[in-house]
Formats: sequence, C-alpha cells, structure tokens
Amino acid sequence: MKYRITAATAVLAAGALSLSACSSSDDGGTGGSSAGAGDGDYSGETLTVMHYEGDESAMGIAWNKAIEIFEEETGATVDLQTTAFEDLNASAQQLFDSSDAPDVSEYNKGNGTAGQLAATGVILPLDDAYETYGWADKLSAGIDTIAKYDENGVMGSGSWYGVPNYGEFVFLYYNQDMFDEYGIDVPTDEASLEAAMEAFEAEGVTPLTTSAQEYPMGQLWYQLALSQADRSWVDAYQLYTEEVDWTGPEVTYASSTLEDWVGAGYISGDASGMTAEDAGLQFINGEAPMFYSGSWWYGRMLSDITDFEMGITNWPGTTLTPGSGGNIWVVPVESKQPELAEIFIDVTMRPEVQALLGESGGLPVAADTADITDADAQALIELFNEVNDRDGLSFYPDWPTPTFYGDLNSVMQGIVNGDVSADEANTQLMDYYESYVADLR
Amino acid sequence: MTAVAQAPAPAPQSSGKDRRNKARPRTPAEWVMLILAILGALAIVFPMLLLLLNAFKSPQDYANSGPLDLPQALSFEGITTFWETQNFPRALWNSIFISTMVAIIAVVVSVLNSFAIGIGRVRGRTWIVLVFLMANLVPQEMLFDPLFRLYDDLGLLSNPWSVILTFVVIQSAFGTYLLSSLLGTFPKEILEAASVDGATRWRTLRSVIVPIVRPTLSVLMVFFFIWTWNEFLLPLAFLNTSDSLTVPLLLEQLNGERQTDTTTLIAGTLISIIPTIIFFLIFQRTLTRGITAGAVK
Repeated sequence: MKYRITAATAVLAAGALSLSACSSSDDGGTGGSSAGAGDGDYSGETLTVMHYEGDESAMGIAWNKAIEIFEEETGATVDLQTTAFEDLNASAQQLFDSSDAPDVSEYNKGNGTAGQLAATGVILPLDDAYETYGWADKLSAGIDTIAKYDENGVMGSGSWYGVPNYGEFVFLYYNQDMFDEYGIDVPTDEASLEAAMEAFEAEGVTPLTTSAQEYPMGQLWYQLALSQADRSWVDAYQLYTEEVDWTGPEVTYASSTLEDWVGAGYISGDASGMTAEDAGLQFINGEAPMFYSGSWWYGRMLSDITDFEMGITNWPGTTLTPGSGGNIWVVPVESKQPELAEIFIDVTMRPEVQALLGESGGLPVAADTADITDADAQALIELFNEVNDRDGLSFYPDWPTPTFYGDLNSVMQGIVNGDVSADEANTQLMDYYESYVADLR
Repeated sequence: MTAVAQAPAPAPQSSGKDRRNKARPRTPAEWVMLILAILGALAIVFPMLLLLLNAFKSPQDYANSGPLDLPQALSFEGITTFWETQNFPRALWNSIFISTMVAIIAVVVSVLNSFAIGIGRVRGRTWIVLVFLMANLVPQEMLFDPLFRLYDDLGLLSNPWSVILTFVVIQSAFGTYLLSSLLGTFPKEILEAASVDGATRWRTLRSVIVPIVRPTLSVLMVFFFIWTWNEFLLPLAFLNTSDSLTVPLLLEQLNGERQTDTTTLIAGTLISIIPTIIFFLIFQRTLTRGITAGAVK
C-alpha cells in the first residue's frame, strides 16, 4: 500500500490544482487539457466511501450525484459501502484504525463521537485541505463548530477534523386543519402559544405530542431554557467556558414550564413511555395539533401526511434554537487515499450537489438559495436561514457528556410521571452534568 | 413448538389415549392446560401475524393506521425496496456458509475434545472442562477489541473465516462441556468389547462411540447452526464490507439514525425468517429425536 501513497502524494499538488480549477469553471471541457493530466493519474484507483444515509434521503440522493461527478472528473472508481448508524457507532474506533477502514466516511458529530476519534488520533486533521479548498468560507458560524475539535475532543476550537455537508435544527410542526377546526391562531409568541394550548386542552385535545423516552422532550426542555438564555449560556453549557448556573432563570424556567404543562394537561402523561416514532406518528395521524422536533422529520412528514395541511414555524419567542451542522465527512487514519478523499469531500460541497441536497428536502450548508425551486424545500430553508440570521444554532442538550442523553430522558420521564418536582429535576441534572464536566473545565 | 415436539414421542399409546378421551369428558385441569397451550401458541404466532399484516402496507398506510389494522391495499413497496437496496441472496449465502461451517467444525472439535476428557479421563479433567466453559462465559464485548486487532493483523477482516474461527471456539467449548459429561457415563462394557475385538482408539471413536451418540451430535449441530445464525456483535465487528454481511447484520442496516423505514424493515424481517422456517421443517425430526435420545441416556 505504501507505494500507492507515495505515488499519489507525488501527484497531489497537480491533481488538486487542476480539480479546483475544474470546479470553478462550470464547463469541464475547457479545462480539459490541464485537467486531463490530473484525471489520468487517478484512473484505476478506487475510493472507498462509507455513509449511513438512506438511498432516498436528501443526503443519499446528493451524495450519489457527487459520486457520479467525482468518478467522471478523476477517473477513479468509488466503492460505496453503506452501513447503519448504530453499526458504525459501535465499531468506528477499531474500524478506522484497521485495514478495513474506508477512505472517507460519514461520522456522527459531537464531543462524544467525532471528538473522541479526533482526540485518539483515529481520524486525520484536515487543516491543509481546508486551506486548499477554502471550505471554511462556505460554512457559516454555528455550523462549523462541530467540524473543529481540540486535543481533548471538545468541539469549537482546535484543528479541523470534519466537513459538514448539511445542517439540521428543531422547530414546531403544526396541523393547520386542527387549528382551523377549533378557530385557534397559530402561535407567534409565548403568550399565544400558551393560549393556543389552553384552547386545545379545553376542547379535549392534547395540544403537544412528545416523547420522554427518546430525544423530543429533552430537546423541548433545552428549547425552553434557550428561550431565556443568551450565547454565553450556550457556550458555558456546551463548550464548558464557565460554570452553568443550575438554579438560574434558564434551567428553572425550562423545568418548571414543563412541570406546569404536564399538570395542565398540555403534555400527555403517556409521553414518558412513548418513543420519538410514536410521537411523530401521533402527529401524522392527526391526533395532536403540534409536534416539536427536528428537520430530519420533514421529508417523512411531507410524504406521509395525506389528510391535513401541515405547517412549520420556529419556536415562538426565542433567539436560540437547538440545531447544528449535520454529520461530517471524516478521513480515517488508515485511509489509503487521503488526497482522493479530500477531492471527494470537495465535490460534495459544490453548488450543484448542495442544491440537489436542498431540493431533496435537506438543509444544504453551501447552496445558492436561488437554485432551489421546490416550494416545500424553500419553506424549510427559509426557516433555517431565519435561525442562522440571528446566529441561533445552539446544538443539542445531550452533547455535553457521553451519558447525558439517557440522564436527561430519565429526568424528563420523572417530570411527566410527577415523580420529581422542577427543583429536584434541576438538582439531578446538575449532578449528572457536573460529574463529567467538572473535570474538563 | 413444545406441543409439536412432544406429539410424536408417545405415538404407540396415542390410539389408546384417543379412546379414553372419547370415553370421558375432559377434566377441568385438562381444559386449563388446553387453554394455556392455545394462549401460548397465540403468543408465539402473534409477532408473525404482525409481520404479515404490516409487510404489505405502504409507508403512508403504515403511518396512518394501527399495527393491527388490515392493509388498505396490498403494497409490495417494502418488499421491493428491501430486495432492490439490499443484497439479500448474498447475505443469505454468507449466513448459511458461516453457520454450516461452524456447526460441522465445532461438532468435530467437540467430539475429539470430549473423547480425551470423557473417555480418556485425562488428569484434571474437571478443571479442563471449566477452562473450556470460560470461553462461553467471557462476555463478547471483551473479545471485541483484541480479536478485531488479531484478525486485522491476519488480514481476515470482512472475511467469513474470522467469524467461523471465533465461533468454532466458542461453540465447541460448550459442546466439549456437554459431550464430556455424556461420554463420562459411557458404558465401559461397550468400550471393553471394542478393545477385545482389537479396535484401535481411533476405530473405537469412529465406529463405536460416534454412532451411539449420533442423535446428540445432530442436536448439537443444529443448535450450533442456529446460535451462529443469530450472532450479532462479533460479526458486526469483523464483517464490514457490504458483501460480507450476514442476515441479522443486513437487517440492522435498515435502521436509520433517527428515522427507520419501518415497512422495509418489516418486509426484510419477513423475508429473512423464511429460510429459518425451511431449516426448522427440515431438521424438526432431528431436533425431537435428539431431545428424546438425550433424555433416555
């Protein structure tokens, strides 16, 4: 394998230059003579690409197109290995450091996942590639946080280790038909949200469906805290810049609001036993008028909701919103084709690939919005841009510690069941959080 | 399954039993047993029923109806998506190859081991058996990393032999344990008769012992096959390329990070249990015969 790396390194500069030239001029034909030399060098080579997105998902569709472009321009063949999120999550630490390692792979962003791999040296730093291809300019602040990891694997600073292709965020899905039926207005601020929930409750309809067994209710809790918070609170919570005040207005508001809502019947007592899928199905079936969850549901909602009109809106009365860059492309340390891997990543950042990603229901990070014509896709991207314009992306509640996902869910279940009060919930959360974070600060 | 398994055993008496049943009404205890058996059978059939009901729904239909509702229209979307996106025949072949090899090799190894321990009565056999049993007691999570590195060095990753080697060791450890205690009680007279007839040890094993314990060996083989078929964690670690996957790993591929295409998963599960049912139908006799043979011993 060594000979291949040496040979490839020799042509790296030439290859990379001719390709970037190719991408800036849309008509590949004119660059033919200079790019031709670069192309020839890669024919016969194979690039193993691994990801875990469905073939029909926005990412799957866009990346298939990227593979097509990549093969055409470099002459190399792509060996696509699709895997499952859970599979790779379990084995990446070993796999990326073995002879079976893919040359480039999608991986889950965040401290506990990609951060861990970066800290143990299982994925390669991409600082040089970032400079060569100018990826940093394409990623907006908030999106790029998850691409950088320091020596402890904490995101937000340090070297570049990954490239996000898409974004994701959490917002409110609502059932327009149900709002019309009961003559209730779609909420635009906190007061009208409470009023709408009260009105639904009076009609015997549980206004908000959620799941305390999986992520939705934890994200709702985080959103409520964010609605009272500013950026420095988020930095303290996610990046450990300073101590989080677990008796402060942010956390107190979140927990006590949820407690009130459960007491008032705005959130069903069944939520503690429901999965995200159950909650989503309740909304799709038209049993609940509102569902607070992420953009990853959007395509499914569009195709599965047949008998009512769905609307989407950002959570009323907040500047900060849970969300982040999506999963990232990483280059495993045992990659046999690191330079081809970088070229491939660059192809996925091209406007045409990014536009296709947006057109298919994803949230592109480097697309020209004018290229996207589909009305549903536009609605989602508009909402996302609104969040980005106010620099609102605040990541997810479970990121600070490797076990906080389960911890948060169990506390949420306690609130739904009435086993813990808001104050007790805050104390429990603080204990869970500090037991891990205290050493890192 | 238990009902089926027990039925052939008391075959000679069954005609007499029938007459007795006709002669007098069932006692309350018998009624209770009957109802319990029916409930048990229903509980076993229920998941299959769910699979059948939901495999033929379109994703929209599935989202808009309960899991127990009949499909609105027969949809083969899930099945076709599964068939088109996943290489099921390849995974089926991988599973059959791995499980068969493990079943055969592990039984041969078990017989050889237990011949030494059970018949040969080597010194410290209890401890040896205990050491063998350790292979079964060690949690697989512990084997994950060292074995992964070992097979990486040997160049056996994504190669079926990595899984075969691992499970031959694990299964034959159990087989050795079981067969050793069985052969420890093997009638001495038979062995003496064999040696009087001038049989070598090898001949005794091949022509005397193996034929006598054959029913037990077939049961072991079937069990090894099924256990290996259902293995998940270690194959997950060793088999990484898409054409080396086994059937359980292939089904896992259908689970998304946050979203799962449930109808495709259900359709895939339905397709993947068909070979298991065929396997059961073929080996059902072996299973029941083996169980009774073991019981008589």
